[in-house]
Formats: sequence, C-alpha cells, structure tokens
Amino acid sequence: MATSNPTGAALALWNPGADEHDPISARTYGFWLYLIGDALLFCSLFASYAVLDNPVNAAGGPLTAQVINTPHGLWQTFIILASVLAYSLGTVSLKNGNAAGVQLGILAALLLGGAFLYISGTDLWALAAQGNGPTRSAFLSVFFTLLLTHGLHMLFGILWMLVMLVQVGVLGFTKDVVGRLLNLRLFWQFQATMWVCVYFYVYLLGGAR
Amino acid sequence: MSSHYNPLQHPEVQQGTTGRYIAAFLASAALMGGAYYASTQKLPLMEFAATAAALSLAALVSQLALFFGLNISQAQIWKGVALFLAIPLFIITIGMTVWAFSSLYSRTMPMDGMLMSGQPTLLQ
Repeated sequence: MATSNPTGAALALWNPGADEHDPISARTYGFWLYLIGDALLFCSLFASYAVLDNPVNAAGGPLTAQVINTPHGLWQTFIILASVLAYSLGTVSLKNGNAAGVQLGILAALLLGGAFLYISGTDLWALAAQGNGPTRSAFLSVFFTLLLTHGLHMLFGILWMLVMLVQVGVLGFTKDVVGRLLNLRLFWQFQATMWVCVYFYVYLLGGAR
Repeated sequence: MSSHYNPLQHPEVQQGTTGRYIAAFLASAALMGGAYYASTQKLPLMEFAATAAALSLAALVSQLALFFGLNISQAQIWKGVALFLAIPLFIITIGMTVWAFSSLYSRTMPMDGMLMSGQPTLLQ
C-alpha cells in the first residue's frame, strides 16, 4: 500500500512536539553540580579541621573552645537565614515580573550578608590582634581557612548581587538575567546550608569539647 | 527556543512561594536555636553531640526541601539524585580522613592518652 512520506525541505528530522531545549534548566542543573563540587571543598576543610583540632596541633595555643563566640555564631546563623529568606522572597516577586520587588529582596539580602561578614570579620580580626592569627598554629590555620573560605563565598555572593541589581534595572527579565537570578538564589541558599554545618561542627561541637 | 519563550513562566521561577520560604526560615532558625539552647545545658558530651547533630540535620533537610525546593517533580528530581549520589562522597571524604589520621596519631603522636597508657610512641 502506497504511503506519502514527506521529502526534502518538508522532512522534519525531529519530533516537533518533543520538549524543546531548556537553557534555564540546563544552567541551573550545571550550577547545582558546581555547588556539589563546592560542598566537597568544604568537606575537605571539615576533614582537615577534624584532624588538626587537638592539643598537639595547637602548639601550646588556643583550641576551638577558646577562640569561638557561640552566641555571635547563633546571631550569624539567624542573619544568614534572614538574608536567604530576603533573596528568596525577591525571587517570588520574579514570578510576577516585579522588578522593584526583586531589587528590594536583593538589597535586603545584600545588607544582611554584609552584617554577617562584619561580625565574622571583627571576631577573626580580634583573634588575630591577640596574637592568635592563622600562623600561630596548625589548628588556627585551618580555623581561619574554614571561616575565611565561607566568608569569601559570601563576599563573592554580595558582589554578584550588586551586578544583578544593575542587570535587572538595565536589561530587565531576559532569559539570561532570569537564569543568573536563579543560580544566585541557589548559591546564596548554599551559603546558609554550609554555615549550618560550620556552626554545628565548629561552634557547637568544638565549643563543647 | 520558541520566540514566544517567556523565562518568567519557567518552572523554577514559578516554584517558589512566600509561605514555603518563610517556613524554611522559621524551621531552620528554630532548629539551630534549639541546638544552641542544648549547648547551654550541662548535657554529657555524647548526649549533646547527638542532640545537636539531630537538630542540625533536621535544619539541613528543611533547607533542602523548603529553600532549595528539592522534590521528585520532573523539574527537580535530577538535582535530588545528584545530591543523593554525592552524599556518600561527603561521608567518605571526612570519615576516611579522620579514620586515617586517628590511626596515625595513636601510633606517632605523644597524646595525653598515649602517655598515660604507658605505651611508647614513635616520637619517644
């Protein structure tokens, strides 16, 4: 029985009804895989911390219980969670195309992130000023490295927010800008997740020993 | 992509809700506040460690479910799968390192416990 198959320009080599390529999902998934790699970096720092947090590696200097401020750490926990909440609520405004709402959320998250870094920075600076800087002992080296690694992530996130504030205002909600806003949301939420791990392991467990 | 593609209609844009994010904040803050409160009580070390670990783990799970929005929907399932497959790597990275150095320290370092036990170390 004869059939009429399309030929030439009429021939479609793909299923026109199939799902189209989704660049936003591809980007957020790729960024998610990066975050898992970043989590492995933190795992290596936690492993180093566990190895070096003992009197032999303190070289006569202080250990965790003498260098941490657990109530400050709890305030930092609340602040970073509030910052993530502010950014996340900003992305709820994104659903309605509300640029002012998005920018307000980013601005609030940025200021709270700055407050977090200020507390962290002043605590570490005071510690170093007492002669307990990162070169004092192997333990203090890993203590500073762990906290500064998280702080550098936070600083990068704040710079990224500044860029996105401008891009939302200038470019609007293009496909690229929306993809970046979603990736920044993942990045910022990841910082709170890592801080919960730092607070539990360094501040709570370290302070109890 | 289609010329009619609207990025604001993307599932990952549309997934977030105010209620879910506020619930994530309240749950995480309450759980970590609870862990801090446990640290102010005079609990035995192991009992405190177990309590703080359970509360912190619950805070992490609440963040994954409510902030990150991980679930088994078509839009999110592969993020969950990637994380699920990576968790053993996290445990191996930390666990194997601690185990290896714990074993090394017990043979080479003049720790208090070693000195008190009377066993000579390689450094003595």
